[in-house]
Amino acid sequence: MSAFKRKRGRQTQADRKAKKAKIVADGGEAPVDADQEKNNEVTIPAPVSSGRWKNKERVLIFSSRGINFRTRHLMQDLRTLMPHAKADTKMDRKDKLFIVNEVCEIKNCNKCLFFEAKKKQDLYMWIANSPHGPSAKFLVQNIHTLAELKMTGNCLKGSRPLLSFDPKFDTEPHFALLKELFTQTFSTPRYHPKSQPFVDHVFTFSIADNRIWFRNYQIMEEDAALVEVGPRFVLNLIKIFQGSFGGPTLFENQDFMSPNMHRRQIKLAAAARMREKQMVKEMQKMKKTEAKEDLTKDVTADVFLTPADETHVHIQMDAPEPKVAKKNKHKAFKRQRMARR
Amino acid sequence: MIVDSRTMDSAEEESLLGQESEEENSELSDDELQEAFAKGLLKPGMNVLVDEPKKFVNNVEGLKHCLAELRKDLPWVERLDMTNLPAEDVFSNAEGKVPSVKNGAINADDDFQREMLFYRQAQATVLDALPLLSKHGISTKRPDDYFAEMSKSDQQMQKIRKKLISKQLILEKSEKAKKLREQRKFGKKVQVEVIQKRQKEKKAMMTAVKKYQKGMTDKLDFLEGDQKKGKDSSSSAPQGANKSAAAAAAAKKGPNAKRKYKDQRFGFGGKKSGRKWNTKESHNDVSGFRAKVANARGSKGGKKGAKGGKQNKRPGKSVRKQIKSRS
Repeated sequence: MSAFKRKRGRQTQADRKAKKAKIVADGGEAPVDADQEKNNEVTIPAPVSSGRWKNKERVLIFSSRGINFRTRHLMQDLRTLMPHAKADTKMDRKDKLFIVNEVCEIKNCNKCLFFEAKKKQDLYMWIANSPHGPSAKFLVQNIHTLAELKMTGNCLKGSRPLLSFDPKFDTEPHFALLKELFTQTFSTPRYHPKSQPFVDHVFTFSIADNRIWFRNYQIMEEDAALVEVGPRFVLNLIKIFQGSFGGPTLFENQDFMSPNMHRRQIKLAAAARMREKQMVKEMQKMKKTEAKEDLTKDVTADVFLTPADETHVHIQMDAPEPKVAKKNKHKAFKRQRMARR
Repeated sequence: MIVDSRTMDSAEEESLLGQESEEENSELSDDELQEAFAKGLLKPGMNVLVDEPKKFVNNVEGLKHCLAELRKDLPWVERLDMTNLPAEDVFSNAEGKVPSVKNGAINADDDFQREMLFYRQAQATVLDALPLLSKHGISTKRPDDYFAEMSKSDQQMQKIRKKLISKQLILEKSEKAKKLREQRKFGKKVQVEVIQKRQKEKKAMMTAVKKYQKGMTDKLDFLEGDQKKGKDSSSSAPQGANKSAAAAAAAKKGPNAKRKYKDQRFGFGGKKSGRKWNTKESHNDVSGFRAKVANARGSKGGKKGAKGGKQNKRPGKSVRKQIKSRS
């Protein structure tokens, strides 16, 4: 820490030079090249330190205890992508939520992204404007981090993003409020000391199925060929509060079903199915064992009866005539008979 | 009778003050009940306390107020935000497919469509924002020698590249294997066909030969050759039989004239094996012995003498040329 008092917002000579070196972490060639490029080409942007950093946005990104590896990586990814973000240690679950406001104040941040994990399964995200402003709570689902091999793009660390919003954000007042919150939180301030002067990636916020889908694309070509870079997640809005981590509720999402309820419903459905099966089995058993009535009359007995026609009963009174026996019938053999024929 | 606990509708004030309700909810105190009864809100029968259906808070005024407070009047350069619909889907329009998205109702379960919509939304943003950015002097393309730290380390990018390459290799291998299998099947088919054809021909040939052997020469129609070919248009002799019959005829005529001439000149080429072995007869055969040649070896200059006579018989090249040019 230098002895003399640093003027806020104004960068000293030493800092300016130091910043140039800071931007280039890997190679030490950029400052020289930047100068050369200034002379040669017209399209090179001015180095970061030439402008004054006026928009003092700082975001505090931290979490509660009990998060799993995916959430941790997501937090780290967000910190990488947003140079105006600060980290903090995990907060104890015992503390009430409004303590987060104090933490923010200590760290001199005016926005906060707080991740809360419940039951080691469900992840909730709070986004808040720290001293007085509104805050919103979301349920986070479908997290994919930077490290996944299917995300093939890459972007500069700390470069400023373009933000892209679905037109649906302008239709409802709660969406409009959320849009403003997202814009202020996720956009990197211009001339931020840790930022890069190029704009090479886009954050997309879209609304589908009553949820907010977040994607991060890298701009490969000037003709808008894009490759997905960054983390992706889905936010399911729960409530919007007037104050930061508290205060009266401004909006409640009707379609939100808490994960507990969801799991409960699945279990109930399964239980109901089992019960139905049981009932059906019992009914069948009962049918088998119940006393069957004996039928005295067989209804189907005379199905095949075909009554014959009525014939007169003829009683023979006279004896029949005796047969006359013919003798000496000389019949030729059969073959000869056939031949003759 | 269902009585709403919170908002009791002021029902028609009937004079049904006869019977009191049997069920009394413990939440409502006796005083309250008496008052309600006096007002005539309670009706005879069972009164059940029922929760109002949950009303979801949507404080539009509050939201707008909050938004107004939260809003910071920053120039666009600071925020870099855009709102747009997904860009035109060039490919599906080219194919003539009707887009299945109506009024922006994205089907969240159709993964491909959903992701394509997000992608196109980002594309539209980029296309709209590029001119604005260039106006403010912010570029999106990095110069080639601008080295800076990236969000993903080089190691990570290597891994990704390797994975992509391996995927491609697997695909290629499977393609090759498929093609090979196809080829083999095809080749097998062709092979089978050729074998069958050969067998058929052989069979026909054998039958023709047998017929000849059995002496049914009058039945053979290839001996006459051209004479019968024209007459026999309607005969049912198969083509294969004709061909083999012709071959048999050729064999019968004996070897070619060319072959005969060659045999005459160079001797009977034929079975070579065993021809040049020394047998008793060949050993005892001394007809090739010339005593003069054999004995004249030692006396005159050896080979020269033996060969000199021979040489003298035929003049040399230059002499022959001279003779030729002279004559």
